Amino acid sequence: MAVLRLSHTFRLPNAVVWGLIAASTPLGAAVASGGGGGMGGGMSAPMSPSMSTPQYDPAQEYRDGMAAYQAGKFKDAARSFDHVTQAAPGEVNGWRMLGLARGGNNDAKGAAKALERALKIDPKAVDTRRDYALALAQMKQGDKASAQLDMLKSRAAQCNDTCPEAADLKSAISQVEAALKPPNSAATGPAASIAPSGSLLSAAAGDGAYVEAVSLINEHRYGDALVALDRASAAFGPHPDILTYRGYVWRKLGRLDKAEQYYRAALAIAPWHRGATEYYGELKVIEGDVAGARTMLAKLERQCAFGCADAEDLRRWIDHGGDPAS
Amino acid sequence: MDRPRRRSGVLIAPRLLVAGAVAWTLAAARADTVTVPLRVLRWTAPGAEVVRILTRRPVECLAVPADPEAAYRVEVGRAAFRDPLLLGGQAARAGIACESCHRNGRTNPDFAFPGLSGAPGTADVTSFVFSTHRGDHVDDPRPIPDLGGPKVRLKVDQSPASPALGTFIHGLVVEEFEGAEPPPGVLEGLAAYVRALNPAACADGGAGGGFERVTAAAAIADVLRAAAARAALAHRDGPVALAMIQAARAQLGDLAEHFDGRALTAERQRLTHASFELAYIADAVRRTDPGADRRLAAWLRRAPAWRAALLNAEPRSLYDKGRVETALSGGQAPAPSSQPRVR
Repeated sequence: MAVLRLSHTFRLPNAVVWGLIAASTPLGAAVASGGGGGMGGGMSAPMSPSMSTPQYDPAQEYRDGMAAYQAGKFKDAARSFDHVTQAAPGEVNGWRMLGLARGGNNDAKGAAKALERALKIDPKAVDTRRDYALALAQMKQGDKASAQLDMLKSRAAQCNDTCPEAADLKSAISQVEAALKPPNSAATGPAASIAPSGSLLSAAAGDGAYVEAVSLINEHRYGDALVALDRASAAFGPHPDILTYRGYVWRKLGRLDKAEQYYRAALAIAPWHRGATEYYGELKVIEGDVAGARTMLAKLERQCAFGCADAEDLRRWIDHGGDPAS
Repeated sequence: MDRPRRRSGVLIAPRLLVAGAVAWTLAAARADTVTVPLRVLRWTAPGAEVVRILTRRPVECLAVPADPEAAYRVEVGRAAFRDPLLLGGQAARAGIACESCHRNGRTNPDFAFPGLSGAPGTADVTSFVFSTHRGDHVDDPRPIPDLGGPKVRLKVDQSPASPALGTFIHGLVVEEFEGAEPPPGVLEGLAAYVRALNPAACADGGAGGGFERVTAAAAIADVLRAAAARAALAHRDGPVALAMIQAARAQLGDLAEHFDGRALTAERQRLTHASFELAYIADAVRRTDPGADRRLAAWLRRAPAWRAALLNAEPRSLYDKGRVETALSGGQAPAPSSQPRVR
């Protein structure tokens, strides 16, 4: 492996070296840009190595990955989704798409690893379990693939054709069984592979899912709203708006811990996201953390140079000690 | 007119993410055509004459009362009319104020907002886009009325003896746009302002209205008029004073949008500084600090300095028609001859 040797005449501090590397590589370009999508800020000051870990705009990376995937550029797609998972490791769609992109690039082992991570986050995802099983079958790991098939069959038995995912389960089982058949058996068609592009959402469909989620929230159908937000997320990835709304739904469901988790995830991606900042401040009011809420308000006031509704609404929450509309 | 049709989807408006959805929609719809970072373009109909819209506006037909108290109320209403935060909810987050639909107190034939408008110049006041209260699932946008036109054409009784106008405005703010309960003085002011809009106040009688240039000087004048907050403090009306200060800050934000680009960083910084100073004054008002009025007076005394700097830079801003045309064409706006050359 090549080793970067510095000049004999002087040594640059490590931080500067890392800064130079960052500025001279595509990876560095992403670091130096500080990301888009309202993330703001850049990295003009020298960084220590611990500070120079990659910082991507995962929503943008996800969009790039989707574009590359849909264009059949699986290697590029895998690179983008790999960045997504680095920046937002808790985002299931990033791992799932990384698995699909690696599968498209004939990297079954890499696909299986990514899909396994996705399943740890969302064990109920039928498509992901199917794709994981297909990847294992492609790696000739029949036992492990069969174990996944058994899990799908168990779900199907519990469902008994009555659950919403009944058709998906049936289809998944059929595809995995086909993939597990010996090559010379009397299969009716070629074994399925990991390329479920039909399940990918376009941006327009993602918008539709998003608006549907908004509608469902207003109908107080929070479980259905989360499903719709999942679909929007499949199109847009870890978008801070979607993460913030997931937090909002969990708050409405009384799961303040999960609400906070999503607000924090949104703010990790977009530290200056006004909505997430406001809602996180409101959550702190609910939890009785007025000082924390005031910190959020101060943050909004700093970024809203000319005033903004987010700050004024949070101020009213703080003044009222809760939802002023209640 | 088409029969009202049922909406295809129930777009009710929890605060944050409808704004997000709108932003996505706008990005998709306008990104290929608009490169000017002005909020007004968010609610400008596709295909509209953007240069005209950005550089010209209808003349305001305002008959300012001679009585100082009545004039004060009109000024309060005039400022609130231009402040998005009056409306709250999704509208505020999108930057929409009363003035967005009623440019300079008139109408806006080019207004179009996704989910709210049909043909340009229309809006559905019973839409779920901005309201959870008034949505009726029926897509029936109506023409935006000219508030500076003949009163007989307006559906709400504006006679001072009638409470109808105040009730209408209150419902509009609180229910239609999900805004917070406005201070009574602001509601009175809005009603006074709308009543003071009168075709007789326009040189041509308001028939079609005349047009005027959109200028930095007029925008700055609006900022300073919002400093009617001083008068509100004299009236010991803190909530109105706060509303006026916020209106002034919103106007400063509108100015800052026009001074876009790296070459105008200093001008934007002046505006940002002026706005943060007002934020500190607002804090003083909230604390009922008796020094708030003195600070506001000092702020007003400093205004001529930043005003002069902005007017000097106006030819390089998006108040200049040539700059707007260049920006809209997707090119880098050329440096005007007055700008020093940089090697």
